Amino acid sequence: MAEPLFEVNHLSIAFPEEVKGSRDLALHTVVDDISFSLEEGEILGIVGESGSGKSMTALAAMGLLSKDARILNGSIHFDGHDILSMAEEAQSAIRGNDISMIFQEPMTSLNPVMRIGQQVGETLKLHTTLNQKEIHLKEVESLADVGLPDPESLCRKYPHELSGGMRQRVMIAQAMICEPKLLIADEPTTALDVLVQQQILDLLLELHRRKNVALLFISHDLNVIKKLCDNVLVMYEGKIVERGGVRRVLEHPEHDYTKTLVASFPENAVEPAKENIALSLQHVNVYYEENQRALFGKKGRRQVIKDLSLTVREGEMFGIVGESGCGKSTLAKAIVGLNPDYDGEISFLQNGEKAGGPHDSALTRTSLYRPQMVFQDPFSSLNPVHKIGWIMTEPLRVLGVKDKKEQRRRVEEMLSDVGLDASYYDRYPRELSGGQCQRVSIGTALLRDPKILVADEPVSALDVTIQSQILNLLLELHHKRHLTIIFISHDLNLVRHICSRVAVLYDGELVEIGDVEEVYRHPQHEYTKKLLDAAL
Amino acid sequence: MSLQYFIKKFITLIITLLLITLLTFTAFTVIPGDAAMSKLGTDATEEQVEALREEMGLNDPLPARYFNWLASALRGDFGESYQYSGVTVAELLAARLPVTLLLAVMSLILILVISFPLGILSAMHAGKWIDTLINQLSQITMAVPAFFLGMMMTWVFGLILKWFQPGAFIDPSEDFMGCVRYMIFPAIAVALPKIAMVVKFLRNSILNELNQDYVRTARSKGARALRVLYGHVLKNALIPVITFLAMVIAEILAGSIVVEQVFGLPGMGRLLITSISARDYPVVQAIVTYITTVVVVINFIVDILYQFVDPRVKTTS
Amino acid sequence: MREQISAHPHRHSSNGDTGASGSRAAVNMKKKRNYSLIIGFTITIALALMALIGQFWTPYSPTAMDSAAVNLAPCLAHPLGTDNFGRDILSRIMNGSGITYLVAVCTVLIGAVGGTIVGAFTGYFGGILDEIVMRLNDVLLSFPSVLLALLFISFLGEGTLNLILALGLLFIPSFARIVRSEMIRCRELDFVRSAKVTGVGTLRIIFAHILPNSWVSLLTSAAIGFNNAVLAEASMSYLGLGVQPPNASLGRMLSEAQSYLYVAPWYAIAPGVTIILMILGFSLISEGLRKIQNH
Repeated sequence: MAEPLFEVNHLSIAFPEEVKGSRDLALHTVVDDISFSLEEGEILGIVGESGSGKSMTALAAMGLLSKDARILNGSIHFDGHDILSMAEEAQSAIRGNDISMIFQEPMTSLNPVMRIGQQVGETLKLHTTLNQKEIHLKEVESLADVGLPDPESLCRKYPHELSGGMRQRVMIAQAMICEPKLLIADEPTTALDVLVQQQILDLLLELHRRKNVALLFISHDLNVIKKLCDNVLVMYEGKIVERGGVRRVLEHPEHDYTKTLVASFPENAVEPAKENIALSLQHVNVYYEENQRALFGKKGRRQVIKDLSLTVREGEMFGIVGESGCGKSTLAKAIVGLNPDYDGEISFLQNGEKAGGPHDSALTRTSLYRPQMVFQDPFSSLNPVHKIGWIMTEPLRVLGVKDKKEQRRRVEEMLSDVGLDASYYDRYPRELSGGQCQRVSIGTALLRDPKILVADEPVSALDVTIQSQILNLLLELHHKRHLTIIFISHDLNLVRHICSRVAVLYDGELVEIGDVEEVYRHPQHEYTKKLLDAAL
Repeated sequence: MSLQYFIKKFITLIITLLLITLLTFTAFTVIPGDAAMSKLGTDATEEQVEALREEMGLNDPLPARYFNWLASALRGDFGESYQYSGVTVAELLAARLPVTLLLAVMSLILILVISFPLGILSAMHAGKWIDTLINQLSQITMAVPAFFLGMMMTWVFGLILKWFQPGAFIDPSEDFMGCVRYMIFPAIAVALPKIAMVVKFLRNSILNELNQDYVRTARSKGARALRVLYGHVLKNALIPVITFLAMVIAEILAGSIVVEQVFGLPGMGRLLITSISARDYPVVQAIVTYITTVVVVINFIVDILYQFVDPRVKTTS
Repeated sequence: MREQISAHPHRHSSNGDTGASGSRAAVNMKKKRNYSLIIGFTITIALALMALIGQFWTPYSPTAMDSAAVNLAPCLAHPLGTDNFGRDILSRIMNGSGITYLVAVCTVLIGAVGGTIVGAFTGYFGGILDEIVMRLNDVLLSFPSVLLALLFISFLGEGTLNLILALGLLFIPSFARIVRSEMIRCRELDFVRSAKVTGVGTLRIIFAHILPNSWVSLLTSAAIGFNNAVLAEASMSYLGLGVQPPNASLGRMLSEAQSYLYVAPWYAIAPGVTIILMILGFSLISEGLRKIQNH
């Protein structure tokens, strides 16, 4: 057999890292003796969580590792070249020409002060002797190739004038313009919405077929890998722990890590919901104030939620799904009282009787009917300058628990309820991992002993294996405390697994609501159908 | 460039100028002892002072006096100096302005010519000895007050090496090149600490940009270090430097006030100091108005410049 | 496992509960010490101590003239020489830097307290008041402090107290801006939202939740403020608008020394170098604090 197009042999990469309590730096190995190869025109997926070393491998292949990275061992061969031993000059002759790469962040990966045309054409300028006019023709052609409308005028635009999906297409255009043999895609769809994600994946697949470019596709998401790749490598803690056909790995995972990855969603034993209504929204319109901080700036008031009515029953796990920008977070804020700019009626009920709304003065400070909330970003939801104990005591102070011993006792009790031991009381948030932070957030919310908990994308910033742990915790608390949980997510699979009823939001409107299985099996609305197609 | 943006910024400029002049005008009117008193001296009778006050319009309500003052100021009429009787403020300013202007322009040229190459050099070799050297030198130079630097230059170059004669200022209208030669020293004294500041700022700005995602993208296309720097990073890095330069220009004005004193330059700074000591308020007020106007206008120009270097401004503001 | 963030400079890293990953090997490298901070503090503390001692004890009386020892070059009896009246320069510097520090501390205090209050409320609540205050701030901030101090002194008249008042008021905007931007940044962050949902009162959110987050920025701008205050005080006194004779002050000494540059250059060099060291100390501290902040 001929030599493979791309071959990684026994590659190890390390970074110097600070050791607590010492001034010596230790080397921390992030890629640990990995080997794999890629044939011409093949698609290979690499899956793993953040920190598993998958991106480092790709950056090493491009010669783009940061300066403090150390390659301890191994080699990378591409098309007969030994990349790691090449001079910078020879490496840059290959980069963009024979190997290209696209990155995760479409918002920041393009130069903000350079026109689109120039950025796409730069690759040609660097690798060919074409003149300005020929380059421009190619620019237009390659922008059209990635499905962008009106490429002529697009060439004169700046990145900030484009949406995330369009920018990612521009990234692909500039990566493909020299017709490389290998395209490395590092989480190219992670920052995008489900539907846009689907379009970008389709585009990559089409380009692969049309131009016969080999594709190294890196993702944390097995579902995405499944759609695109035939073969997959599973990376964990810097090592390749499993490899093979995607189907085989999905259906018969061998390594423990892969097993947790595949079976990552806990199942919720759906209880028949009680009849009593806990939360009722009647004809709710929510507005969002766009702050323009200029002396002559007009205040923009945008309607985000349009005439929405729904009810959530006591002890229910209720899902709200939609893409970013559909208004689901704004709705959540209105429910918990963070956004006072709404009309219509939002009311919390007790045994079928109205107990109050988000802004009733009787409710605002101490009532148990005031819903609590868990936020998406685990790191920003905890105040970095205070210890966990201080943060978790705050709700008790609000409730008027003055006795220090009593405060500490209740906080420690809650810490153990959310699966953390008492030693966390004296730690700072920066010493905690994302999952631990999220446990603290949930605990803080529950110390108010609320009837309703609003969870806004509580696991989407976490790694898949951690996601399932946090979901299990939420489910456990839901059952044990008969807690009503409003679970907001962009992830249809997730909602399907853990919620009993679901509402689908599109552009601020409620397009579908019903029992989860019913909605998933027989979607009524076009948008729901499209979403489901893209997700499964 | 969008006209709307320009108009918006222009209206802001006018309002800011009105606000500042109103503030300074009000401040000067509440100072004890007024123009009539100063003009007549201490042995004038109550009636004489009152008559003069009436004649000078000092008894009018504040808004009326402000608009009167503003109207004459716009015509270039800032009244008469108290300390030099019979000389108008405008005449005084006209005589001093060229010196200050020359000093400011020369310092600015020095700053631009020296600091940009040094800043880029330092950033390109970040972490290497040349960067460390430039960095340490900047850190120390930044700490040297311009007037002390001026004194040391007077001592070394004027008194010991005798490259120029301290205090023997040459009027630009008589011998322009001779004046420039004399002004080189005060200009260096004003510029050097600012050069250090700009070098440091530019270096940090470039290093900050080098960490951005788009740099990685450019490198992934095969761009080499120099191409990344000149083709991508520099334009982005210069955007904040423009604002910083506006501040530096304001600081040149401030620095030159003190340095004029050191080198005995007959500029506006010296006029301001003597006028403050002599309580010659019309002169002080005119200079204050002049300097604030310059600073505000420079900031306005920077805002407009932003439009050309940063395409994001058009849609976001 | 949060250390891994450094390995992913471009990605938001959220690592798992799964314990340490990869292996660790010793490497012959040391973590860089924050030398700026160490040297800055050393210089500042040494000078401050000297100034403090100078208020109670100096080798000679700072105002005692000695006609037999006029314009002496540095020697054993007078380590920094004497001035045109035969006064001991070391004693005058020790005593005079006290005033410089006093001015610096007072002005920074006025600026920090005033700025924090203004910035906290305008930043948290926003609105029309915020816009007006910040517009004013922007205008004031675009002026160098020496220039503004000069303008204020021209209204208030010269003297130490007026100088403190003028500089203190001038520093309010820069602190207000820092605190305000911290308020604006934090009020949209989830931990503040979370506190609101918990039912924490507004004042407590501002002062117990958000403000502690701005300590480092506040300290950094305090160091820069000290820096500007020293420079402004020296310039003002040099111009004869700050500290009035017979009190010694570094700027005052420089202005007196100017006439004797040729015969007694040490008279100018000694206070000049003291000023440089003071400013260097503060700017190294602010540089060091900035490094901590960026880390």
